Amino acid sequence: MNPNILLWPILAPVAAGLLCLVLPKGLKWGREVLAVLATALTAYFAWTIFSAGDDGLRLFVPWTSFGIHFDLFAYHLPRFILLAAAGFEALLALYSASFMHGKWRSGEYFAYFLITAGLTNGAILANNFVVLLFFWEALLVTLYGMISIGNREAVRTSTKAVIVSGIADFCMILGIVFAWKLSGTLTMSQVHLEAAGLGAAAFVLMGIGAMAKAGAMPFHTWIPDAAIDSPLPFMAYLPAALEKLLGIYLLARISLEMFAIRMNGSMSVFLMIVGAVTICFAVWMALIQKDYKKLLSFHAISQVGYMVLGIGTGTAIGIAGGVFHMLNHAMYKCTLFLTGGSVERQAGTTDLKKLGGLFSAMPITAVCFWIAAFSISGVPPFNGFVSKEMVFHGAYQTGHIIFPIAAWIGAIFTFASFLKLGHATYLGARNKETPNQKPRDPNWAMAVPMMVIAAGCVLFGVYAKLPLKHFIQPIVQERMAAEASLHGGHGTATEIRQIHETTTAQTAPAGHETAATSQTSPTVSQPLAAASAVPTSEPVKQAVAPPAQPPVDDLWHHSHGFAVFSWIAGISIACLIIALLLHRYGVSKNQGKAYLASEPVHNLPVAKTLYGWGEARVFDLYEWFVGGILKGFAVTVYVLIDRGIDAIYEHAVTFVGGVSIKVLRSYHNGVYANYLAWAVGGFVLIAIYLTLIVK
Amino acid sequence: MGWEFSVLATVLIPVLGAFTVPLVGLASKPLRNAWAVVLGAATFFFALTLVPAAFSGETRVFSWAVGLGVDATFVVDGLSVFMAAVSSFISTLIIVYSLGYIKDYQYQQEYFLMVVLFLGGMMGLVFSANLILMYVFWEITGICSWRLVGFFRDREVIVKADKTFLTTFGGAVFMLLGFAVVYASSGTFNMLEMRGMPISGLAVGLITMGIFAKSATLPFHTWLPDAGVAPTPVTALLHAAVLVKIGVYAFARIFNFTFAIPADWQFYLMLAGLISAMVAACAALVETNIKRILAYSTVSQIGYIFMGLAAMNSIGIAGAVLFILMHGLAKAGLFLAAGVIEHGTGTKDITRMGGLFGLMPVTAVAFLLCVFSIVGVPPFGGFFSKLMVIMGVVQSGQIAIGALAIATAVLTVVYLLRLFTLVFLGQPRDASIHAHREGYPVMVWTVAALAALGLAAGILVAWPMDLVNIAVRDVLGNPAIRDIMGMIH
Repeated sequence: MNPNILLWPILAPVAAGLLCLVLPKGLKWGREVLAVLATALTAYFAWTIFSAGDDGLRLFVPWTSFGIHFDLFAYHLPRFILLAAAGFEALLALYSASFMHGKWRSGEYFAYFLITAGLTNGAILANNFVVLLFFWEALLVTLYGMISIGNREAVRTSTKAVIVSGIADFCMILGIVFAWKLSGTLTMSQVHLEAAGLGAAAFVLMGIGAMAKAGAMPFHTWIPDAAIDSPLPFMAYLPAALEKLLGIYLLARISLEMFAIRMNGSMSVFLMIVGAVTICFAVWMALIQKDYKKLLSFHAISQVGYMVLGIGTGTAIGIAGGVFHMLNHAMYKCTLFLTGGSVERQAGTTDLKKLGGLFSAMPITAVCFWIAAFSISGVPPFNGFVSKEMVFHGAYQTGHIIFPIAAWIGAIFTFASFLKLGHATYLGARNKETPNQKPRDPNWAMAVPMMVIAAGCVLFGVYAKLPLKHFIQPIVQERMAAEASLHGGHGTATEIRQIHETTTAQTAPAGHETAATSQTSPTVSQPLAAASAVPTSEPVKQAVAPPAQPPVDDLWHHSHGFAVFSWIAGISIACLIIALLLHRYGVSKNQGKAYLASEPVHNLPVAKTLYGWGEARVFDLYEWFVGGILKGFAVTVYVLIDRGIDAIYEHAVTFVGGVSIKVLRSYHNGVYANYLAWAVGGFVLIAIYLTLIVK
Repeated sequence: MGWEFSVLATVLIPVLGAFTVPLVGLASKPLRNAWAVVLGAATFFFALTLVPAAFSGETRVFSWAVGLGVDATFVVDGLSVFMAAVSSFISTLIIVYSLGYIKDYQYQQEYFLMVVLFLGGMMGLVFSANLILMYVFWEITGICSWRLVGFFRDREVIVKADKTFLTTFGGAVFMLLGFAVVYASSGTFNMLEMRGMPISGLAVGLITMGIFAKSATLPFHTWLPDAGVAPTPVTALLHAAVLVKIGVYAFARIFNFTFAIPADWQFYLMLAGLISAMVAACAALVETNIKRILAYSTVSQIGYIFMGLAAMNSIGIAGAVLFILMHGLAKAGLFLAAGVIEHGTGTKDITRMGGLFGLMPVTAVAFLLCVFSIVGVPPFGGFFSKLMVIMGVVQSGQIAIGALAIATAVLTVVYLLRLFTLVFLGQPRDASIHAHREGYPVMVWTVAALAALGLAAGILVAWPMDLVNIAVRDVLGNPAIRDIMGMIH
C-alpha cells in the first residue's frame, strides 16, 4: 500500500476546516455538509488503512535537521486507534451538523471541529516525537476556540482548559526531551528505555501528559466547567471520545513499548495509584451532581481511572482491559453526551430538578441512554461489563487487593449515579417545571449517531470476541506470549521485557532508511511460536526464545475474565445490587424525588463537609496553583527581585552619583591656591612612590 | 554583483543613507517616508543576496585596512547573514508601520534619521569581525536608541531615555574593558585570528556585562520596560524585537564562534539566562501596563536564547538562532498590535480595557496568533525554537535548568493569556476609553502579516532551518554537521 495514504486522514479534515473559515458567512448548510463529507472521507481512509493490515505502512519524509522528520507509522496500535477516532469524528460531525446549525458562531465551530479531527489523526499516526508534539499541542489552539464559542462567558473556562492542558503538555515535552537524551533518537518506535533514574522521570512526565489528555486527576478540573460552558457536541467529541483515545493510546504506547512496564514495578504502582484515586474521587463527586451534563463530565474523569489502572497493572489481561475500556468508554460516554444534547435541545434544560418522565416523549433517546448507562455501570451483557471485568482481573492479579476494591467502590457509585440520572430524567411522572413541555425525539441526523454507537455498545458486549480479536489482541500479543511462556506464572520482568523487545525489533523498522524494507510482524491469528521460528539473525533473540513454547491462546480464552460466573464477576454484580438498593433507599427517603437520591450519601457527617469543599473548588488545583501559588510567587519575585534591582538603578545609582558630584564640585571652587595645593600634593605622592616603593 | 559589493551595500546604504533622509524631508514629507522605506528594503534586499554566499560553505572575509593599525574586517557566514536578513526584514516592517503611527507627531525628521541609522549600526555590528569595529557600531545603535526612546520631550520620557542609554553604555564600557583583557593576551582584536582561544573568566564576566546590558537581561534589564513606556510603540518594538538581539548576536559571535570559555562560566551564563527568564515572567504576570508586560516578556524570552547559546551544543545554538527569528516575528506582532490598541483607546492600562475583540477583530486574532507563537504552541514557529533550546539545555547535562525552563514556559502561558483575556474579552471595564475603530489599515495589516508569517514560519520551518543549520555549522565548525544531521553522541 502506498504510504502516502497516511497523509489523507490529516489533510482532508484540516483542509475542509480551513475552507470553513473562508466560506462566505451567509452560506446555509455549506459548512455542515462539508464537515460530514470530510469526516466521512476520513473514516473511509482510516478503514482502508486498517483493513489493509500492513504492519510496515510508514511514511517517512525528511523534514529538517536534528532527527526531526515527518514520520507517520501505522502498525497495529495506531491503526486501530485511528479507525476508532475517525468513526467518532464522522458520527459526531453528523450530530453536530444538526445540533449546531444556526447557533452562535457555528461556522467557527465546524472549522475547529475539522481541524481538531485532522490534528488528532496526525498525533495518532506520528512516529517522531516532534511530529507528535506538533499535532498534540496544536490541539490546544482548537480547544481554546471550541470552548470559547460556547457562550459569551466561556472564556474563563477556555483559558483554564488551555492552562491546565498546557501545563500537562509542557510536562510531556520535558519527558520527551529526557527520553531523547537517554535514547539518542526522536523516532518513537526506536525508543526503548529502563524506567530508572532520568528514565523514571521521563516516564512519569510523559505519562502525566498522556493521562492529563485523557482527563485523569489532577488535570481534570476544566472538564466539569467545560460541560456547562462549551457547546454540547464538544463534550461528546473531545473529553468523551477523542481525548480519551489519544491519551490512553499514548499511555499504552509509552508503558508497553517504550518502557515495557512490568507488573508491580514502581511505574506500574504509580499508574495504578493514579488510576484508583481518579476512579474514587471523581465518581464520588459525580454522585451528587444535579445537572445532566455535569454529572456526565465527572464520569468522563472517573472512567479514565479504570483505563489507567488497567494499563498500570502490567498484566496482559489488565492492559487489554484498559485499552478495551478506552474504546468502550468512548462509545457509551459519547452516547450519553449525545442524549444529553437531545434532552437539552428538546426539553430546554439539563437541570435534573426540572426534568422527569421523558421516556414516553423521547423513546429513542431514552433507550440509547439506558443502554449506555448500563454499559458504563458494567451491567452484563453490555460492553462496559467485559472491559471492567478484565481490569478487575488484572488488578487482582497484581496481588494488591486495594486496587480491585477501589475499582469496585467506583462501580457502586457509578451505577447509583446513573440510576439517579436516568430515573430523574426519563422515569416517573412528567415534570411541570420543564421549560419545553412538548419534547420529542430529535431528527434523524441527531438520532442516527446515538443509535449507531448505542448498538455498538450492545454488540461489543454480547460479541466481545470481535473487538478483542481484531483490535485488542495485536496490542497485547507479545505480553501474552511472554506470560504464557512462563508457565502461567508472571515471570521476571526482564524475561517479559526481553521478549517484548525481540518482537518489537521485528515489528518496528530499524531506522528511517529501512522503512521500505521492514519485515511484517506476526499477524493477529498467528501464534508467537511461529514468529520465533523465523531464522534468528539478531543475537538478542537467541537469548530469549524458550525452546518449547506452549501455544498461545487468543485473548478470549486467555483468562477467565469473561466468565460471568467467576467470583470476581460475582462481586461486581453484588456491587450493582448494592447500588440499586442505595438508589431505592435514597428515593424513598426523599418523597420519591429521584434527583435527590444521592442525598443520604451527600448528608453523611464527614461527606457533607468534604462535598462542600469540593463544590467550593477547594480540591481544584488550578484555583490553588494559578490563583494562589503562582500569583503569590510572581508577586514576591517581582517586588523583591525586579523592583529591588530597579530601586538600585533609580535610587542608589542616582544617589551615589549625586553625592559624588556634590563632593567634587565643592573642591572645584575656582580658588587658585586650592588647585596648586592639589598639584603639589600629587607630585609629592608620585615622588614618594617612585623613590620609596618602586625602588 | 559579488558578495563584497553586497556586504558593503548592506552596511553603507543605511549608515550613509540615513543622513540623506532629513535632506529629502526638507523637500517633501511623503517622499522622505518613501525614501526611508526604500533604504530599509534595499538593506534587506542586499542582505538576502548574501544568502547564497552563506550556503556556499566557506566563511568569506572582507578586509579593508583603514590605516593607523585599524582595519575594517567584515565576515560573511551563516550567522551574520541570518542575523542581517532577520533584523533588516523586521526593521523594514517597522518603518512601514510607523508611516501610519508617526504621522500625527512632531520630530519626524529626527525619527526617520535615527531609525535608518539604527538599522545601519545593526548591519555593521552583525558583519564586524573585529572587536573594536563591533564596539563602534554597538555604540551607534546605543545613541540611536537614546534618541528614539526620547522621541517626545516630556521630562519623564527624557529620564527614561537617559536610563536606557546609561545602562547600555555602562555595560558597554565594561565590555570594552573585557576586550582589553583579551587583547592583553592575544595582541589582536581580529576575531577570526583568535578562534578557539581560551579566555579567562574575568574577560567573560566583563564582556557578559555589556551583552546583558544591551539584551536587557537580569540584573541589567529594568531599562527595557521603562523604554517601553516611552510613547511610541515603534521605538518600544525596535528595542524589544531588534535591539536586544544585538547582545544575543554578540554572545554567539564572541562566546560561541570565537573564544573557548571556561566550563563553569558556561553554567553561570545558562543560569543567568534561566533566572532572567523566570523573574521577568513573574514581573509580566504582575504588571498592568500592556507595553511593560510585553517588554518583560521580551526579557523572559531572551533568557531562553541565552540558555540555548550557553548550552554550546549544536541543537541548543540552532534553537537559539531560530528563536531570534521566531521571537522577532511574534513579538513585533504583539508590540505593533499594542500600538494599534493604544492608538485606538488612548491608554496602556489593561485593567481599563476589555471587550475589544468585537471592535478590533483583525488585531485581536493577530494578537492571539502571536501569543500562541511566543508560548511555543505548534504549528507556530515559536514551538520549534523553544523545544530545541530546551533539548539543547538537557543535552548539555543541565537537567534541572531544563525543567525550570519548562516551568517558566508555564508562566508564559499564564501571563500572556491573562493579557489577551483582559484586553480583548469580556465586557469593557471603562466606557470612556472605548475604541471606535481599528487602527490605520497600514498598521493593522502589518500586524496581520506578522501573525501570518509566524504561522508560516512554523509550518514551513524547514526553510529557515536550512539557514540556521548553516549558521550553526559556521559557529561550531564543520564537525557540527554530524550533530545537525541527527546523530547524537
